[in-house]
Amino acid sequence: MSDGIAMARRGLPALALITEAFWPQGDFVAKSLGMPDIPRLKLPHPIAGTGQVKMSQVAEMLTDSMLEALSA
Amino acid sequence: MTHLLQAADEAEALEMLHAKGLTDGLPVVIPTAERVDRLVLATGLQGAQVLGEMGPGGGAATVEKVAVSAVMAGCLPDHMPAVLAAIKAILQPQFDLTEMQATTHCTAPLIIVNGPARLACGDIASGFGALGPGFRANASIGRAVRLAMRNIGGAHPGVSDMALLGHPGKFSYCLAEDEESSPFDPLHVSMGYDIEQSTVTVLGAEAPHSVMYAGDADSSDDHLRLLTVLAIGLGNLATNNAILTGGAATVVLNPEHAAILAAGGLSRSDICQDLFERCGHTAEAIRAVNPGFSSGSKPQSFRRCFQDPSQIIVLVAGGSGLYSMVMPSWCAGAHRNAVVTEEIVLNDFCEIPD
Repeated sequence: MSDGIAMARRGLPALALITEAFWPQGDFVAKSLGMPDIPRLKLPHPIAGTGQVKMSQVAEMLTDSMLEALSA
Repeated sequence: MTHLLQAADEAEALEMLHAKGLTDGLPVVIPTAERVDRLVLATGLQGAQVLGEMGPGGGAATVEKVAVSAVMAGCLPDHMPAVLAAIKAILQPQFDLTEMQATTHCTAPLIIVNGPARLACGDIASGFGALGPGFRANASIGRAVRLAMRNIGGAHPGVSDMALLGHPGKFSYCLAEDEESSPFDPLHVSMGYDIEQSTVTVLGAEAPHSVMYAGDADSSDDHLRLLTVLAIGLGNLATNNAILTGGAATVVLNPEHAAILAAGGLSRSDICQDLFERCGHTAEAIRAVNPGFSSGSKPQSFRRCFQDPSQIIVLVAGGSGLYSMVMPSWCAGAHRNAVVTEEIVLNDFCEIPD
């Protein structure tokens, strides 16, 4: 979330990818850093270490949403 | 009857309790007669009922005196069933409380709650940060036990509690198992209790030591690598478990790590068996770091850290991620850091109006 906000502050399109377990923390950081409405997308948790197949499935599932959010 | 102190107001009472060494150094709720009576009433027991003698000072742990500690710790009536069960557990002879309180080692009773009491006793936390600050039931229940150990048992640092440094769990050390996120039967069910029953499981434990493992579901060795690092943490050569051997110790798996082990086809007992087999060192290795503890052994003889797999307590708790925790232990006393489980009796307790 911090990285996304840092990019947004540089005027770059930004989208924070947050896993479900860290969603509340994402909200907290976004509010704390003064960008409560920064675009974010929820990923399943866990994501790390779940294997190439699962990672590819998640990427496939979210790609359209990511492009849409970054194009808005 | 508990001796009553007199003070002009609560501020003066607090300073008096601090001055008499009756606190843990933090502010306490003043245990007025009314507040203590309220918690005694909640137990459904007589205040004078003796639960046991608490070492090293040999104080009589009456229900009333335990309630005094519970008030001071900030307990609500709902917390009392867990407090009483934990007190009963540490008073069991096999727990070696007197020796545990007096040792130079940094050990403290870790209180693990299972069953419906996790909710009934004030929603005892089992997830993110469960052993840290911010959870009233965990903090208050654990602190009540600690204040009883200090004020009834008479454990005072440098005088009768000779822990060289202590550890933060000596303020409070209580959590619930995250049964809902666990792929295994709850801990108490694995010990033979019904799932509808509630228990506290108590054992001496060092502070949590982090064990990092980043899973890789594409690897057929995923679960084996995790077991390897857990064993390194649990039985490393710096622990009493490696040197003295034979005492129970704790492994707290975060849900992600528990899922990795379950995906590897392991049950809780399989995990205990595997860690039992991995945790140990040759006499030669022990002699290299602590020569006095391996004399007489053949250099290549393998000394296991644990007497049997049941000495390894595995539970699931914490947030999901890279880190699980191990708590090596003291391993001394007549019963070598035994595990004691006590049922939490919920039916005897009375609801107390606000």
